[in-house]
Amino acid sequence: MRWVGVDVGGTFTDVVLHDAATGAVTAGKRPSTPEDPARGVLDALAAVCGSLDGVTRFRHGATVATNTALERRGAALGVITTAGFRDVLIVGRGHREKLYDIKAVRPPGLVRRSRVLEVPERTAADGSVLVPLDEAAVRDAARRLGALGVEAVAVCFLHAYANTAHEDRAAALVRDALPDVPVSTSSEVLPEHREYERFATTALNAYVRPRMARYLGMLEQRLTDAGLACAPEIMTSGGGSWPFERMARLPVNSMLSGPAAGVIGAAAQARALGHGDVITYDMGGTSTDTAIVRGGRFALAAEGHVGGLPNRAAQIEINTVGAGGGSIAYLDAGGFLNVGPRSAGADPGPACYGRGGTEPTVTDANVVLGRFLPDARLGGEIRVDAARAAQAVAALAARLGLDTVAAAAGIVRIAVTRMTGAIKEISVMRGLDPRDFALLAYGGAGPLHAAQIAAELGIATVIVPPLPGTFSAYGLLVADRRRDFSVTRLMPLAGADLGDLRAVLAPLREAAIAELADDGFDDASTRVECHVDLRYAGQAFELTTPLADDARSVDDLVAAFHALYAERYTHADDGPVEAVAFRVSAHGITGKPALPALAPARAAPRPVASRPVHFDSGAVDTPVLERAAMGAGAHVTGPAIVEEDGATTLVPPGFTAACHASGALILTRERTP
Amino acid sequence: MSAVDSPMDPITLEVITEGLISVVREMRATVFRTARSVAIHEARDFSCGLFDAQGQVVAQSEDIGSHVVPLPWSVAASLERLGADLAPGDVIVTNDSYLGGTHLNDVTLIYPVFEDGERVFFAAVREHWADVGGAVPGSMSGTATEIYQEGVRIPPVKLVERGVVNRAAMDILLANMRVPEERLGDFNSGLAACRTAERRVRELTRRYGIATLLDGVARNLDRSEARMREQIAKLPDGVYHYEDYLETFGPPPEYCLEPLLLPLTLTVSGDTLTADFTGAAEQAPAPVNSSLAVTAASVFITLKSVFDPTQALNQGSFRPVTVVAPEGTIVNVTHPAPAGSHGEIRKRVIATMLGALAQACPELTSADIHRTSFHNLIGGIDPATRKEFVHYEWASGGNGGFLEADGPSAMAAIDWGDLSTVQPTEVLESRFPLQVEWSRQAADSGGPGRTRGGLGTRRRLRLTRGSARYSLLADGAVVPPFGILGGESGAPVASYAARGDAIRPFPTPGKVGGHAMDAGDAVILQSAGGGGYGDPLERDPQAVLEDVEEGYVSEVAARDVYGVAIADDRIDAAETARLRAALRARRRFLDVVDGPAESAFEAVGRGRKRVARLHPDDAATLGLDADGMLELLAAGGAPLRAWLRIDGATAAGHVPLDPSGRRILRVAPGDRVRVRALHRPVLA
Repeated sequence: MRWVGVDVGGTFTDVVLHDAATGAVTAGKRPSTPEDPARGVLDALAAVCGSLDGVTRFRHGATVATNTALERRGAALGVITTAGFRDVLIVGRGHREKLYDIKAVRPPGLVRRSRVLEVPERTAADGSVLVPLDEAAVRDAARRLGALGVEAVAVCFLHAYANTAHEDRAAALVRDALPDVPVSTSSEVLPEHREYERFATTALNAYVRPRMARYLGMLEQRLTDAGLACAPEIMTSGGGSWPFERMARLPVNSMLSGPAAGVIGAAAQARALGHGDVITYDMGGTSTDTAIVRGGRFALAAEGHVGGLPNRAAQIEINTVGAGGGSIAYLDAGGFLNVGPRSAGADPGPACYGRGGTEPTVTDANVVLGRFLPDARLGGEIRVDAARAAQAVAALAARLGLDTVAAAAGIVRIAVTRMTGAIKEISVMRGLDPRDFALLAYGGAGPLHAAQIAAELGIATVIVPPLPGTFSAYGLLVADRRRDFSVTRLMPLAGADLGDLRAVLAPLREAAIAELADDGFDDASTRVECHVDLRYAGQAFELTTPLADDARSVDDLVAAFHALYAERYTHADDGPVEAVAFRVSAHGITGKPALPALAPARAAPRPVASRPVHFDSGAVDTPVLERAAMGAGAHVTGPAIVEEDGATTLVPPGFTAACHASGALILTRERTP
Repeated sequence: MSAVDSPMDPITLEVITEGLISVVREMRATVFRTARSVAIHEARDFSCGLFDAQGQVVAQSEDIGSHVVPLPWSVAASLERLGADLAPGDVIVTNDSYLGGTHLNDVTLIYPVFEDGERVFFAAVREHWADVGGAVPGSMSGTATEIYQEGVRIPPVKLVERGVVNRAAMDILLANMRVPEERLGDFNSGLAACRTAERRVRELTRRYGIATLLDGVARNLDRSEARMREQIAKLPDGVYHYEDYLETFGPPPEYCLEPLLLPLTLTVSGDTLTADFTGAAEQAPAPVNSSLAVTAASVFITLKSVFDPTQALNQGSFRPVTVVAPEGTIVNVTHPAPAGSHGEIRKRVIATMLGALAQACPELTSADIHRTSFHNLIGGIDPATRKEFVHYEWASGGNGGFLEADGPSAMAAIDWGDLSTVQPTEVLESRFPLQVEWSRQAADSGGPGRTRGGLGTRRRLRLTRGSARYSLLADGAVVPPFGILGGESGAPVASYAARGDAIRPFPTPGKVGGHAMDAGDAVILQSAGGGGYGDPLERDPQAVLEDVEEGYVSEVAARDVYGVAIADDRIDAAETARLRAALRARRRFLDVVDGPAESAFEAVGRGRKRVARLHPDDAATLGLDADGMLELLAAGGAPLRAWLRIDGATAAGHVPLDPSGRRILRVAPGDRVRVRALHRPVLA
């Protein structure tokens, strides 16, 4: 029984192999191969697992759909929509992306207006048909789109969330006319009201679908050829795993595949340590992802964005900022020092990689500050060239009128400020005090900056889990199977009884349970959660409110809504409440990897080396420890550096670090450094 | 590390700047989380700012420019009245349009932050309260004749003194507003935001020291100032002019257009700039006036958006800029005229700025943008719920073309922050007895040009049950957005009453008060297009073909306006060359002669408009009716617009121009100018 998680990132492809029988865990990484991501996956698997014999769980985190959207390399798209509304997708919500810029333009869309064809049909908000579907017009539109060479079609009708009949029929007609072209309907991709966001999510799905389907098909074939005997699964943005086949049809659900896996892993790690409330902090090569976990649970976002376009598919609320180890420091047009979002990426990478990069990055700044040892191997693959890092930082320092070390400290500080800002947006700005949370740091660069970020935010505890450099791949192994279904149905709650609500939820529940049953989950291994989107009558936005299984009346639900509203907006009203959308999440519970406990430390950890490291107080001779050699209970007072494959943890002055029996390294802030 | 710890190294400066902006972001989040007005927490119609002790903006975030840029005037007016007598815990409240405010719905809280007994910052919040009393629900009346009909006017007063709310004053205010408990909630949200700001500013002062923090603020202001001075210094010294109009109408039954003139004299001298609106029409007893704060802020928004779009906004940028707007005019309203039309004055001030800058730096500016905030209201009693409903929409139109690209279509303009301007049809139809029959970008509404103006949208809304009333407060329904450098006008704002195939315009375009609708009746709403940039005959034929393919330009306009012949979905190059040569050859030019200033304009009721006196033969070639609008064009800049007067006294081939008209075109007697009828696209 071997379980494998493979997470493809922008720079590296990470693999975690767990032997469910022995509890042994092996991890490793290989450079990602963006032109043919499957090759990188197979390379990394070969390096970490050897053969795929005996693998009974294969979980994948992929960036193919995300990159396809970001790079605008998706399918030639055609859209069929309700007569009169071809501009919904073109104009969007009519807002301005750049505030004070007379030359600001819209981010480019996914479809040309000439490929958005209107057909007569109209459904009302209550699902009744106002204008029957003109089937001849649909056939004609399909023929025209075929002649234009479209490779994917989205069918987007007004109010289709309330009645899918017209979309279903139109999709069938298009499939008849264009059998080789995949068709996405808005009622399948996102059966919720607000046409622009639904259409945009559907168009995004259709746009990335052919490439994602090809990728998943090819990867599955290669995995089978390599000896994989189980059905491979892929992570959704919402934190559940799906069979490849389903994701090939609904790839818009994979936009946050890898980051979601990290949050799932973080929630599990936090629960294991008894820290119910953590802020996850995942700093990679190009960006930093951060999320809130409270009581071991994470929140789903109301809306996400990919390349400036809205994406309303179910997704964990993850805030991303373009600051990572590879982020480039530069002087902008106003002469301001800035870091990111432009990144040196995997190629050429930071200057210290010695692959031709000359612009200073956050990683180079850390090398200058002595926080990376010159012989450290990043990701086990790349040797650090300290001279090149210093050269790159020195060039920028000269323009700032600073010495090289001060400029390096400044680069790190500005990156920390940006990452701190991202954390504030999901905590302070939501009325949550970060000091009530622990910071759970992972990603290749997370443990290096975590203490500094914790100090900025007043956070007392930093958790560095085992395998921080490949933590998202580990999170893949922790996730459950999951299905999310939703439907928009307006229903005033005054006078409604629980039976009315349960009647709307019942078909969603049945569908979710049936799909999990197909995947082999029985009642005992299935958990279902119901939510209702509620709002005060007359308002135009909703809060997703849990409907407890043991709720006895609608009043219980309304009370939960008032409480949630008061938490988010500091006050609750007593006005009438109405339901807008109904949601069901079904979890197929899968076994969790049990990591072996650390043996108790027999002696104080012994440094393997020591070197000067620059902190705010100046250069300090700092011991370097091997994490692998630290047993449970091992304890070190900062300054110290803890090294392991794929990550470096910085313990600044003012912090202590202790090894927990679970394998986590816990940093505690004793005082402000 | 010594440099990092010195009082003001560039790194500390960045971190302090980011810290101050973060304070404002947190203020925003606080208002958003705690306000009660739907307009505040759904449309985000509010702004926050942090000001230094002198009342200069030092930090703001993703706020609405139309709110936050005028805020310093409210702070200054408050300081002038109450500055000598401020203590910790005081909160000033004001919405007075005559004392630095915008319209009365924008209620401002100003909160001094003290450090060691010294006033170091002000936090301020400007919120659009859904109602501040006055003649109509929502307080924004399209028919107000005095400010009293627009709500309760609050001069700067200490509504909270040393932490204690002045109950008496509060009770009087709330008693004069609709839904008072909601208003109290709005007030409390602003207060909570200010207190958050105080806490966070204290954290910053503790960490960096007040001297360092203030030093950082001063350097930021200086940096912004230096950048703006550098940009202004690049402009050729000189005086640049433009003029534009706001629209009012005379009494029935003629409803004669009475345009209100807004002239601008823009002086560039070294690294300073003065925008002078001397000559602006007198304020009118109608909602077409606004305050000096709004006028100056609109000048600033334009300069920021043209010269310094990449950096965060602060007051330093505006130090090299002087704005002159005489009291008692439409751009500096005084008691007792209505002040509710800030959306229209803002767009028109921006237009005159763009027109003048088109002379000074055409490569940096765009053509005119969509002229109005386009407030459409449909309200009544829904028979299904027996409840009152009000649907309010503010569809944006096209933006002006610029050197590098076509103007964006149906997108909020530079003064609107990130406000959404398209409401979901599915939400609208589920909440109101309305059906959106269709909603499309209007082909040919974008002003033709080498780069095209953005398109406006045209939508048809039908009342599905009961009865309702439709009102519109807009402008630019007669005088459309102008093109520059030879670009043509975008389509004007329009609205129509419709039932089935019968469609009729309103007698006062852009201004409708309470038009009665019954079930089945519809209105058609057309937002303006943006102006075109450069000569349409120089537009890449391939781009014209694409516009035709995408439905942005009709084949007729491609041929008649752009001179591009399309056959079988391809460009007919030979025919295109012939068409373009023919269109060029048909262009009319006139010799400028000196004209007397006193006959350059004609009074119409309370309005005044420029007239161009042409010989009958020349008039005939334009195909214009008497009193039709025409444009005179010089080599660069924006067109001079005038109403045609057929005058046998003018020599054929000549046009008399008074000195003000010649200054706008930068021509002298003897120069030749091109004349053309105002472009009026026929929209499908």
